[in-house]
Amino acid sequence: MPVFRFSPRGVVAVCAAAAAIGCGSRGTGATVADSTRVDSPVGSRVTHDDFGRPLPTGADATRIVSINPATTELLFAIGAGSRLVGRSEYDLFPDSARLVPSVGPALRPNLEAILRTRPDLVVVYASADDRESADRLTRAGVSVVAFKIDNIEQFERDAIALGQLTGTAARAREIVDSIADTLTRVRAATADQPRPTVFLPIWERPLIVIGGGSFMSELLDIAGARNVYGDLSAPSATVTIEDVVRRNPDLILASPTTAATIRASARWRAVPAVRAGRILVYDTTLIGRPSVRLGAAALSLAALLHPGAVR
Amino acid sequence: MIAFRDVVVRYPGAAADAVRGVSFDAATAGLTAVVGPNGSGKSTLVRALIGRVPLASGTIALDDVLVGGLSGDERARRIAVVSQREDLAFPTLVSEYVALGRFPHLGVWHAAGPEDRRAIADATASAGVTGLDERRIDTLSGGEWQRVRLARALAQSAEALVLDEPTAFLDVAHEMAVFELLHRVARSGQAVLLVSHQLNLVARFADHLVLLHRGAVAAAGLPDEVMRAEILEPVYEWPLVVTRDPAVGAPALVPLRGRTSAGRPNGQ
Amino acid sequence: MRAGRWLLLVVALIAVSLVAIAVGTISIPISGLWDAVRGAGDPLSATVVRTLRLPRVVAAILVGSGLGVSGAALQGTLRNPLAEPYLLGVSGGAAVGAVVATALGLGVVLLPLAAFAGAIVAVVAAFVVARAAGGRGDPRVLLMAGVVVGAFANAAIMVLLANAEPNVVRNALWWMMGSVGDATWPQIGVLALYIGVAGGALVLFGREIDVLALGADAAAGLGVDVDRATRRVFLVASLVAAATVAAAGLVGFVGLVVPHIVRATGVRRHRPLLIGSALTGATLVVLADLLGRILMPPAELPLGAVTALIGVPFFLAKLRRLT
Repeated sequence: MPVFRFSPRGVVAVCAAAAAIGCGSRGTGATVADSTRVDSPVGSRVTHDDFGRPLPTGADATRIVSINPATTELLFAIGAGSRLVGRSEYDLFPDSARLVPSVGPALRPNLEAILRTRPDLVVVYASADDRESADRLTRAGVSVVAFKIDNIEQFERDAIALGQLTGTAARAREIVDSIADTLTRVRAATADQPRPTVFLPIWERPLIVIGGGSFMSELLDIAGARNVYGDLSAPSATVTIEDVVRRNPDLILASPTTAATIRASARWRAVPAVRAGRILVYDTTLIGRPSVRLGAAALSLAALLHPGAVR
Repeated sequence: MIAFRDVVVRYPGAAADAVRGVSFDAATAGLTAVVGPNGSGKSTLVRALIGRVPLASGTIALDDVLVGGLSGDERARRIAVVSQREDLAFPTLVSEYVALGRFPHLGVWHAAGPEDRRAIADATASAGVTGLDERRIDTLSGGEWQRVRLARALAQSAEALVLDEPTAFLDVAHEMAVFELLHRVARSGQAVLLVSHQLNLVARFADHLVLLHRGAVAAAGLPDEVMRAEILEPVYEWPLVVTRDPAVGAPALVPLRGRTSAGRPNGQ
Repeated sequence: MRAGRWLLLVVALIAVSLVAIAVGTISIPISGLWDAVRGAGDPLSATVVRTLRLPRVVAAILVGSGLGVSGAALQGTLRNPLAEPYLLGVSGGAAVGAVVATALGLGVVLLPLAAFAGAIVAVVAAFVVARAAGGRGDPRVLLMAGVVVGAFANAAIMVLLANAEPNVVRNALWWMMGSVGDATWPQIGVLALYIGVAGGALVLFGREIDVLALGADAAAGLGVDVDRATRRVFLVASLVAAATVAAAGLVGFVGLVVPHIVRATGVRRHRPLLIGSALTGATLVVLADLLGRILMPPAELPLGAVTALIGVPFFLAKLRRLT
């Protein structure tokens, strides 16, 4: 008599996309990050979104739904926040974002809730899982653009693009240029400092690290350090502790909770940097997201790594 | 001696009692047979004996000790039961299977000793399966399997042996072999209680016959007394005659053809 | 089983364990292994072996032996070659416990406890459901109750995960995929206690399982209280399974496949079968963990996936022999 076996693999299949969307910086494809360029590389117009589809032209968007924390924050920063009529569940920055009604989780956006707000522009996260939602919304007659803000270049490009779409191009340009200035400044100031190798875990179980394709890796580079996993082209990757032991980073940079977990764990003591207590804690609200505060993030990182070097 | 007194058994959720006040004795050193049509309660009696179904009322006693008061091990040491059917999910060797008959004596803790080995050897010899020790159960023929099961029951060294339809699916040679074996076992001192459909063989070998009909005893006594057409016909609801077999003179039942509505035999 | 075969089993386990301790992202030379275990010699090797490899391998041995014993005991008692340790809802209940603990942010120490508690609740629920359905020890009723509890747990997990934060989902999924890499020494100690005591009890009752395997009527005829004995095996086997789940998450196929592997070598009686299943299960899980670590560097394949990958072909081969 066949015995039913509870198979969590069924649950895995259902929720696999959730893991992929994860913390927003895991890419489904490799994005080659050009981490040496920090001056605004884009021309004055952006023509396509991160799905490669042409950006809608025409009147500025006035009713926007953004289902991605990064773009929600960006829209507020460039002055288009008042036009937001919907956001995804966990978009919590800036504080005023909380006043915008939620249309459901970012993973499986509630298309009906989105349509009910009668948007003229929907901004989705550019991952394969969201292509389906994007297509459905397009078929329903709504303008959809997809952005994925993994690295600094994408941030700048997407900021400009959003500025174009909302008629706030000037403000967007200002922000982008100001960030570029700060980044150049920080890079120059740390140029002749010794560059420690840094290990940046963003999750402990499973062990997920920042790879070369992420803006955080670029920030490290700008702030005068080297990401010990910089050779991986993806924004993030799952690795094992043994691999970290092998790469033997000089420093570990972690969020407060991750740092506490690592310090308390017996198996992490296999990593020399942990044994030597070389764990630095960074402010995740500042440095963990590709936001308009990238400049401040770079300054903060530089202060952590090379105190006194900047300004 | 196994004594059934006013045994009443009802299956949970059933509309009627499966066994309604049955009383009889299975004497020591004798072969007692319980016969009857399908559904008359024969197998239920065996199940009640081994505790698989509870007694609604009445008693079953082995030499004046209530079977219900014995622990499972004690009961199994004194009464060996061969149930109607047994098929193993995971085939084992004949020698290992017969050895399981010592479980009531050894339990989980004790290792087999010389007494156990002797009992196993004797049982194997009595059942005539000595050459089959190294065979796997699933390679045995029907007759061999049945005798191996008997060997296991005999290895229990119990005073009483109860068998439910031990010759189902056996050909005549094997059937006779089993009945002759049971006869020998009874003569050697055990109380043998047999449930069977095989009226003729039972009539030849049994010392005492109990006829069940719809859960109650319809007749009991010597084969000659019970094997009568006027007793059997209403119970089996089929026309039959009882004659004497030419070999040993035991009563033999011969079923007649069914009557058509015009009173003529079928086919004419 | 011949003494030679037992020796082979033990040697295989030791050999695989040694290889698993030595091999990984960082290779430890076999000659330096003993020093590394003692903490002497090359400090990097010593650290890697003592802090990372040894706990994994010991945990893998315990988890594998527990699952092997549990599966073999259940298959014999239920007379069902498809029975396995999770069938009373152990995996579902444990997963619910783990997901709830993750959602509440309870941290890594409490997670295994929550998983264990969830598993036990599921088993008790299965017994209660079986009793309510009228069959206290009837294996078929218990099996169905286990299915019901498992299905319910499945649904609960989906509800919990559907509306959870992405981090919670990731944590829960990672846990469900199984790993021996997260076990700490204290957890391993507790696991060893459970496997030793409960697993030992199952081996001791191996003879009774031989009798149960004959069928309910035959077993009753041999003096066994079938209902009570069946319940006992279910409970103890599920306890062992729950302990392994608490330590390592869900590791499928081991409890199902290992008893068949041992039977294929000719072992029939349950005492040697349970011991053989323990040894074989241990070897299998150590091997699966090793493969998971070296097949796709730098990532680690989930333990449950590797055991399934090993188990499925074996099962297909066995199916072919049946038909």
